[in-house]
Amino acid sequence: MGNKPKIAMYWGSACGGCEVSLANVHEALLIIDANFEFVFCPCLVDTKYTDIENMAEGEILITFYNGALRNSENEQMAHLLRKKSKIIIAYGACSKDGGIPALANFHSKEEIYNTIYLNNPSIDNPYSVIPKTVTTVEEGDLYLPEFWDTVKSLDQVIDVDYYMPGCPPEPHQLVKVLNIFLSDEPLPPKGSYLGVGKTTVCEECRRVKTDKKITKFYRNWQIIPDATTCLLEQGLLCMGLATCGGCGGACPEANMPCTGCYGAPQGGSDQGAKMISALGSVIDIAPLKELPESEIPNYIDAILKDIPDLAGTFYKYSLAKSLVNRRVK
Amino acid sequence: MKIGVYLCACGSNISDKINFQEIKVVVEKIENVAYVTNLDMMCSYEGLKDFEGHLRVHQPDRVIVAACSPRDHENTFMLAMGNAGINPYLMQMVNFREQLAWVTSDSDRATQKAIQLLKGACSRVVLHESLGKESIDLNSDVLIIGAGPAGLKAALTLAQADRRVTVVEKSPMMGGKAVRYEELFPKMECGPCMLEPLEAQIVHGPYAGNINLITLAEIIEVKGFFGNYIVKIKKNPRYVDIHNCIGCAECVNACPVSIDNEINFGMNKKKAMDFTFFGALPNATYIDMKSCLRSKGEDCQACQAACPIQGVVNLEDKEETIEKNVGAIILATGHSLYDVSKFPKLGYGHIEDVYTSMQFERMLSASGPTGKQIILKNGLEPKTVAIIHCVGSMDSHHAPYCSGVCCQSGFKYNYEFHHKLPGTKVYHLYKELVSPGKDSYGLYNSAVHNQDASFIRYNNIDDLEIDAHHGQKSLFYRDATGHKHRINLDMVVLLPAVVPNADSALLAQILDVGTDKMGFFEELHGIVDSTKSKVKGVYLAGSCQSPKDIKDSMTQGSAAAGNILSVLVPGRQLDIESITAWVIEEKCAGCKVCSSVCPYKAISFQEETKKSIINAVLCQGCGTCVAACPAEAIVGNFFTTEEIFAEIKGVLA
Repeated sequence: MGNKPKIAMYWGSACGGCEVSLANVHEALLIIDANFEFVFCPCLVDTKYTDIENMAEGEILITFYNGALRNSENEQMAHLLRKKSKIIIAYGACSKDGGIPALANFHSKEEIYNTIYLNNPSIDNPYSVIPKTVTTVEEGDLYLPEFWDTVKSLDQVIDVDYYMPGCPPEPHQLVKVLNIFLSDEPLPPKGSYLGVGKTTVCEECRRVKTDKKITKFYRNWQIIPDATTCLLEQGLLCMGLATCGGCGGACPEANMPCTGCYGAPQGGSDQGAKMISALGSVIDIAPLKELPESEIPNYIDAILKDIPDLAGTFYKYSLAKSLVNRRVK
Repeated sequence: MKIGVYLCACGSNISDKINFQEIKVVVEKIENVAYVTNLDMMCSYEGLKDFEGHLRVHQPDRVIVAACSPRDHENTFMLAMGNAGINPYLMQMVNFREQLAWVTSDSDRATQKAIQLLKGACSRVVLHESLGKESIDLNSDVLIIGAGPAGLKAALTLAQADRRVTVVEKSPMMGGKAVRYEELFPKMECGPCMLEPLEAQIVHGPYAGNINLITLAEIIEVKGFFGNYIVKIKKNPRYVDIHNCIGCAECVNACPVSIDNEINFGMNKKKAMDFTFFGALPNATYIDMKSCLRSKGEDCQACQAACPIQGVVNLEDKEETIEKNVGAIILATGHSLYDVSKFPKLGYGHIEDVYTSMQFERMLSASGPTGKQIILKNGLEPKTVAIIHCVGSMDSHHAPYCSGVCCQSGFKYNYEFHHKLPGTKVYHLYKELVSPGKDSYGLYNSAVHNQDASFIRYNNIDDLEIDAHHGQKSLFYRDATGHKHRINLDMVVLLPAVVPNADSALLAQILDVGTDKMGFFEELHGIVDSTKSKVKGVYLAGSCQSPKDIKDSMTQGSAAAGNILSVLVPGRQLDIESITAWVIEEKCAGCKVCSSVCPYKAISFQEETKKSIINAVLCQGCGTCVAACPAEAIVGNFFTTEEIFAEIKGVLA
């Protein structure tokens, strides 16, 4: 206690995996605790919001904000923590790019409420009760945060200093990042991604890559890929091509295609669009020479039909930050 | 940052539709815009002088020219920028004419669109960077693969311009297929007589010193790029020095081994030490070593002993690998004929006196197996013959195109039958008859007026069947109207489709040149640039690109040579275009997505660093790899992602 720099980890609209990544630093947690004071971390410390409000501006050295911004509470906390923190790090895919919660942007708030609270085989809601921001009961008014129509990333709401991608970020990367702040080294430029590779997962993936000519896509359960060839070349939709490295190619190493959780590499524009563009370049078009023009779309469609859930595949973690970041109509 | 905006009135082309005054008021307020000036006829001599003068006085950091399409005058204005001492790539053109003034009658909306386009240009032009022109040395020597009409014509044309040319020919002789024809359509001129003067020029002419003909040779490796190729050539032993052999044939007479004569399809014999055929050039013999007694362990030296010139016959000749540096390559590997054994009903190979056009040509040739006589296997003259056109051609299951040259051959054979064996009944069976061009009508006319000739149209090659019973050959066919007929006949000549040579596929692989589904080399553009392949520096000539006759092959040979002469000028350096793509090495993850997308084969992968690299000489700046690179590690100069996004944002602002 006392003079140790203060750190915080907020839990926004997220699954809790980011907290697990903190827990997964194992004994390093003792080192963190020896060097920092956790002033706010819903899964570790019972801090009330008023405690934060009572803190001085900039009193917290670093806030790791995990989770997307789904409701008014997420937003209020973002503003509050921004005020109280010297450094805000968007921690994890949801905070950085919207993550999986942002896939809800393909639907409106009404549609989501309808599915969750009203029209669903497992729902019994005869009075059509849906969440309201104010509910009056005998004892007085009860408040709930307001549910937004659109899920946002942290930097769409407040100024963000650094980003740590991943779903969740790798525990060793968290330790590495905290060490940066303990060291005398100058801090990286604002806006940097921390704990990442310079380019995409392919650089870290040990599989052998050759010229890609894909004639058919498979879902993960349909084939057992060989352990040494590029998964994409085997027809598995590996997002590693368009995904920022730093994970060490953990999924392809375990014979599973990358699902893209680190988002686009630093400076990259739109992960899903880049992946679509790359796939357009590697689908084998040699047989098109044999086909009349009218048959060409059929050939391509036949290959593409094996990719299920296009948006959910290409924008699994980055819809909020993509060029087309929600359904408009 | 100071942007100078120039609006060209283009006479009244632009200013009639677009309100320059309104544009000025808005655009002058855009961030970084220092001034908006209108000039007229900027591309004219006066206009350019005004533009340059204005640039010199005002010294803008960036320039926007709103005028015609950049396809029209971007280069003109870039030159003017350079003259005014400003890097030409700091300019952005906005197309006010083709994309605006010419496509609307609504002046208000055109003016609004003009403003939006200028906003886009302003956002993008601030990101422009000065790009330099680099240049490298280039080698002006040329490699020609194939010594047929196209290759020879190209070789001579280049040699006459004092270019050093290496001609690699896989066979022992020059002239390709054309020299094997006794008479050539359309005017029945003597084939060897047409070709031999050209061939003689290659080996003995005043420019022969510039030509290195390597026979019995093939390409095994090509490295490098336009202006700087390194080629490895495998030269098989000929055992005869082509430069010193005088063609006296003493060695031929001495050779004790008689073998099937390959050029005549085994229809007669030749020696293991022999000419390809008598009259073939270079006028030098060669040993067919697989038949020579020496290959069977015998120490026969009969040919060497008989040779009157010391050292010409070298029985110790060995295979060699020759390395050459060249700047450009011409593929002139010619064609072969479609494999007619794919149509067993036509009897080829199992019924006597059924010939392909090439075999029949040899029968018509003085150096052929019958010494120009048209005779049947049994020694008699044929009384009735069928000439079957379109064998494989215009058939989506075989060769889905008209080969174009076979009809003229068929009419030529008709002429030969009519003149050599008057009264012979000739049946032409065809899907379509073609005789395009100003000279083709003559043979067509003589064929259709031959009173002994009949023309029968069929729909499908499967509707024809040749049968032989008790020495009587018959053609059963269903004509185009569906009626079945039978003709008894003595001889059949098949006119198979023209297809690429079997070696084309290997060469395509070595050179990374594309082929179409039949294997013909793919041209850069079928109409505009059919003499260039998609690989810069690799040119196409003759029937390896598409079926064509000797005349067109020669023409394309000249064209390929002309193309090379215009770009490979000794002493001139090769300017490397600045609008090219390049790899940010640090960002390249080595995924190899880009490797296969480049239409110009400009991208290679470095195994040591696991990074892709783009050859700026080959890169045409098309941007395909920039779009494809999922790591965004490739930058397209002048069309960077940042510039494109800035332009879009500006237009939408």
